[in-house]
Amino acid sequence: MSNTDPTTPSTAAIPATTTTPRTSAGTTGPARTTGPARTTGPAPLPSRPDPTPSTDEVEKDRARRRARKQANGLLGVKVVSYLGALLAALVIALPLYFVVVTSFKTHPDIYSDPISWIPHPFAPENYSYVWNEVDFGQFLRNSVVITAVLTVVKVVLGVLSAYAFAFLRFPGRNVLFLLVVGTLMVPNEITIISNYAAVAQLGWRDSFPGIIVPLAGVAFGTYLMRNHFLSLPTEIMEAATMDGAGFLRTLFRVVLPMSWPTLMAFVLITAVTEWNQYLWPFLMSDTGRVAPLQVGLTLLQNNEGPTNWGPVMAGTLLASIPMIVIFLLLQRSMIKGLTAGAVKG
Amino acid sequence: MATLSRRHVLGLAGLGAASLALSACAGTGSSANRPKQKGNGTLQFWSNHPAESKKTEQKIVEAWNAAHPDTPAQLVDGGKNYEELSQKFNAALAGGDLPDVIVASDVTWFNFAFSKATTPLDDLWAENGIDPKSYVSTFVEDYTYEGKHYGVPYSRSTALLYFDRSVLEKAGLPLDRGPSTWQEFDEWAPRIMDAGGGKPALTIPDGTAYLDWYFEGIAWAFGGRYSEEWDLKFTDPRTIDAGRFLQDQVRKGHIEITKDAINNFGIGTASGLLESTGSLGGLKEIAGFPITTTPLPGPAPGCPTGGAGLSIPDGISDERKRTAIQFVDFLTNTQNTITFTQATGYIPVRIAAHEDPEEVAFLNQNPNARTAFGQLQGNTKPQDYARVFVNGAGRRIGGALDKITTGDADVEKTFGSLQARIGDAINRDIKPYL
Repeated sequence: MSNTDPTTPSTAAIPATTTTPRTSAGTTGPARTTGPARTTGPAPLPSRPDPTPSTDEVEKDRARRRARKQANGLLGVKVVSYLGALLAALVIALPLYFVVVTSFKTHPDIYSDPISWIPHPFAPENYSYVWNEVDFGQFLRNSVVITAVLTVVKVVLGVLSAYAFAFLRFPGRNVLFLLVVGTLMVPNEITIISNYAAVAQLGWRDSFPGIIVPLAGVAFGTYLMRNHFLSLPTEIMEAATMDGAGFLRTLFRVVLPMSWPTLMAFVLITAVTEWNQYLWPFLMSDTGRVAPLQVGLTLLQNNEGPTNWGPVMAGTLLASIPMIVIFLLLQRSMIKGLTAGAVKG
Repeated sequence: MATLSRRHVLGLAGLGAASLALSACAGTGSSANRPKQKGNGTLQFWSNHPAESKKTEQKIVEAWNAAHPDTPAQLVDGGKNYEELSQKFNAALAGGDLPDVIVASDVTWFNFAFSKATTPLDDLWAENGIDPKSYVSTFVEDYTYEGKHYGVPYSRSTALLYFDRSVLEKAGLPLDRGPSTWQEFDEWAPRIMDAGGGKPALTIPDGTAYLDWYFEGIAWAFGGRYSEEWDLKFTDPRTIDAGRFLQDQVRKGHIEITKDAINNFGIGTASGLLESTGSLGGLKEIAGFPITTTPLPGPAPGCPTGGAGLSIPDGISDERKRTAIQFVDFLTNTQNTITFTQATGYIPVRIAAHEDPEEVAFLNQNPNARTAFGQLQGNTKPQDYARVFVNGAGRRIGGALDKITTGDADVEKTFGSLQARIGDAINRDIKPYL
């Protein structure tokens, strides 16, 4: 039935998804402020001729005054942009801050009125509670297995099928592509019953294949990568052919290196989505044997009686750390890819 | 690598497409006329672990496994609430691979019985020498449809009034009883508020947290009800009176309607709480003050029973059904129902358990647990069809109650449109199949 209750386990899943974009926004905040900071670079330029020997005193003085004036104007811009950045950071960071702080609070402290900004008493035992109470290690392992396998499978399938759609000419190519894109329009929830039947008939319930195989379709990746491949200049591909690169060598040596940022975005989106899967793994897993973290964390919420949100927040935070790490790692190569392209172009 | 031909690559693309096809349109199965499922020899018990009971359940299941090594049982995580469990069971009904025993709540069991997804238990009881009269009768009779029983009581509760004992003392109110009528509560409330420093006298969970269940008892105390069998009574003047009373209490500040009522009471922002007995265990842990519980105000009956029972799917083989009913009997036997309910705050479901020396000793030590028992004698009755038998009705009633309390909407108009919408649902989903 409806899964819209705000206290559904997906609340456990949501922070994990949202934290990643949040950190991204968080890092772009400061990044933006380097804009004005950098413009102060060119500003002292006029005064740079300073060290040259035969310079007029008046000329020097004028240059200094000009620089100061410019600096004053820049100061205003700087203040405004810092304020803007601060505001943006607050909007993003405040809810996150509360997740972090709540994870260290005791039960009465969470509900205290007025709100307490600093945990008092400090309760790190929420973390050990989560770790011991819900068999966190086991769920973490399951999550890693499911996410890793799904990401690898989806990226391989997505890249290969996109490559075929982009560069191979075969009958029915467009119709097949439309079919693939068409599956994007079918919401996951609709296919659940038929998938359940298929998996149950195969005897795959409560097993990794049962969770992974039905989630392994890659319509989005095929679509994304194919359109990116088509945007690559054909001249380069022709040059590669001239140099004797075969079909797959062209893919690995020419096409993929040029698609690095898109590919990384695809990997990132896939990893975060699979990490936060809830409904399907919940239906498939019967015991903790193969259930991922998002399902395991619901064991912290009570059906009746008070839910202690401290451990729930601690679990949520722990569950989102792997995704934050992956984001930070991939972000670097995304940027590397971007600059590499810029220099080459 | 470079020697791979175009055909190979096409083949790879085909693999991608095949995986897509599997995830987009796998095979379907229909539940009708399928051979009864044999299972894999292990009994699957799907539970949502009502009131943090997973460890207790696991212990009972292990005791069963030790006694019945040939038919071992497995405790399966069916979700975090009744709705999720029902969702998972629905998927299994359509997709196959049915469990042996499920937890079915007061609002979900009927839909399963009605659609023949769960099996009537009377013949199974007779065949296996289990006497249904050994269960507390109000509990077991709740699962009757067309003269047959479709569930066994498991985690059963009633509503209770919880008060901060020190506030009652300060207000000079009696400690040995609660308000005997809602009118008396109205008289007590200002004194409780004064003694509590202006905090609301009572906090009640809102429509997303079963206000519809708590209000059912209030409506009964006013002589109203949700329905008389399938005949809706939301617009009955006495039901409307009850609605107006609740609205008036909220306006006066006596009653607060909030999503997280238990926590508000637990941290002391309200002096009283209307909640299920199942919350008793958890509240004892978080409240930093002495709690006293009282029955719901009358005139009796003024309190619904609730909670969940156990049902057995119809689509499994007779062999599995036999084991299942024995397992259900074991889960709810005198010893296990005592163990289970003492850990959670629910009420033992077997009559023998109520006289068991161990239980009597427990009740003497925990007078708050005794309140729920006392209520069973006369202050409770089975719930109205309109709430428990109509799919989604609980949420609709809860929504209407939110409107008249937190939304301050007109009671007569709101109940009128509620009656119309639930009436539509009954005419569409139920009447044609009765």
